[in-house]
Amino acid sequence: MNSAVIEVLAPRYGIAWYPWAVQYFFLIAISYSSLLLTVPGLLFGKKNYESLAKVALLVTVSCTLVGPVALLADLHQPLRFWHFYANLTPWSWMSIGSLLLPVYLILVVVYAWLAWRPAMQVQAQGEGWIAKLSGWVSLGQWCAPRWMLVVAGLGALVLSVGIMVYTGAEVAIVKARPLWNTYWLPVMFVLTGLVAAAGLVILINRLMTGNDQEVNEQSLKVIFVTMVLSALVAALWVSEGITGFSPSVEQAFASLQRNPEWRAVAIYGLLVGVALTLSAIAMLRRPGWIGRSWLAGLLAVHIGWTFRWMVLMEVQTVAKNTAGYYHYAIEAGSSGLMGIIGTFGLWLAALLIIDILVPWKKSLQASTH
Amino acid sequence: MDKIRRALLGQIAKLTAGAALVPLSSITSADINDQPPRREGDPERRYAMLIDLRACIGCQACTASCHIENEAPLGNFRTIVSQYEVEHEETGNTATFMLPRLCNHCENPPCVPVCPVQATFQREDGIVVVDNEACVGCAYCVQACPYDARFINEYTQTADKCTFCAHRLDVGLLPACVESCVGGARIIGDIRDPDSQISRMMKEHYGELMVLKPEMGTAPHVFYLGMDERFVSRPDAKPAIWDVRDQQGEEIGYEFSGH
Repeated sequence: MNSAVIEVLAPRYGIAWYPWAVQYFFLIAISYSSLLLTVPGLLFGKKNYESLAKVALLVTVSCTLVGPVALLADLHQPLRFWHFYANLTPWSWMSIGSLLLPVYLILVVVYAWLAWRPAMQVQAQGEGWIAKLSGWVSLGQWCAPRWMLVVAGLGALVLSVGIMVYTGAEVAIVKARPLWNTYWLPVMFVLTGLVAAAGLVILINRLMTGNDQEVNEQSLKVIFVTMVLSALVAALWVSEGITGFSPSVEQAFASLQRNPEWRAVAIYGLLVGVALTLSAIAMLRRPGWIGRSWLAGLLAVHIGWTFRWMVLMEVQTVAKNTAGYYHYAIEAGSSGLMGIIGTFGLWLAALLIIDILVPWKKSLQASTH
Repeated sequence: MDKIRRALLGQIAKLTAGAALVPLSSITSADINDQPPRREGDPERRYAMLIDLRACIGCQACTASCHIENEAPLGNFRTIVSQYEVEHEETGNTATFMLPRLCNHCENPPCVPVCPVQATFQREDGIVVVDNEACVGCAYCVQACPYDARFINEYTQTADKCTFCAHRLDVGLLPACVESCVGGARIIGDIRDPDSQISRMMKEHYGELMVLKPEMGTAPHVFYLGMDERFVSRPDAKPAIWDVRDQQGEEIGYEFSGH
């Protein structure tokens, strides 16, 4: 029997995760991705990657500090955050994450502290309050052996894998939302995180250092490779849905069928992705264009953020049971627009405070030993 | 959705309804995202609900009484009756279909293992509850529920859901929705007691019972009698009512689209 069905009374369900979640997922992904970018220059001590490591370390620290603030704000009862530690729940991915996150944060800060310390010790010799503060922060003039930096760096790397796994798994296990319920989502979070981190490194490199061409080149290569991999993952996901190999992805497709807005989103994603990949190639090949890398950087950051917005916010507007789609209009208040602007403002403040207090452009510990 | 898939889903719905009657072997240890041990409640009982759709007239008395009993904020519902107008494409005949929705108090509730602070848990009698003094309001459970049975209560800023009116059951009263149902469509009871009305009805209608979204593997414990397979999962339907706003953008009511 063919029939047309009308849902006479469709209740609207509000969204449960606010834009804070997007901010957290964005900042923490940039954090672990740019941590990876510090590895060749800082951990392995490769000279030609040192400039990249300097910028990437600044990006890592600033994002690692601000990300958890956004996460806390996404709780409806933020003052109850201590419940996470009073009720350890090893079977919940979110609880596991609450244990990983502070350890990761501390290790990143220690890693950066050890890397910046020699330059801060030099700064402490000078006059004025910044010198005095540098003396306090560097805890004396003793020389920290390199193994300490290596241990902190390796520790942060191990924990960063934990962060990648938990942030991805936390969302991907939710069967109730077929658009999330895929093994490819954690992979895509990491890949787009790398794209955004490399993009942000290019932007900081343009704005705060002398637009170092080597940094631009290395970051553009990261963008190119991760974009190609992202395309591959997206293609695999789509083919799983089309062939019915994954019932969950098939359901995800079914939930969006005949929706012009989601089709527009898919086309836009494809276009922006192709545009970024091609511009990365063009800038790497044309000698004169590399100075304009910040354009690709902006696009890369846009892709990293928008991917998380679509996944975390727009997917919540796909009804689980009722007909149609919920309309999500971003609020002006702290659970909406002000939250987004506020998080970026806090990140900018962290960046500038570090820039004022830390001589991060000077040689890192990697090259002083 | 094509006919074959529809029929298949219906079969799964029936099979799952059957399988739910066999109690899961007791769960001792929990890996990531496994069900944790149950606590509180009477281990001798297993509460479930049977909704006889043949007797539901869609009056929303359950919706209203639940709202009053449990003081849910306006716009949020622990239970609601979905109402569908079904039109035969060839004859043009129309019929209505009513589908009361509430928490399914699943045997494998996906909302429970995700909770990072163990604020939401399943009682030994199968009822899934939230300790709103412990809840941090992370809303992970709201995301994990395939039935949209949970919401964040704007007054308490914690997760809120149907509890089968556990506070009433525990003192020998019926849930508000059951008490107020004019057609007697909602039957609640202990399915471990073979003489309870729900056990007898489940035995009588064993092959006809269906559950919602069986493909999610949640083993729901709200069973539907007189269910149409097309409504087991998200129905392929058009929404008819939109909110109406005045010139200042304030919501003033609802009307049918196209009128």
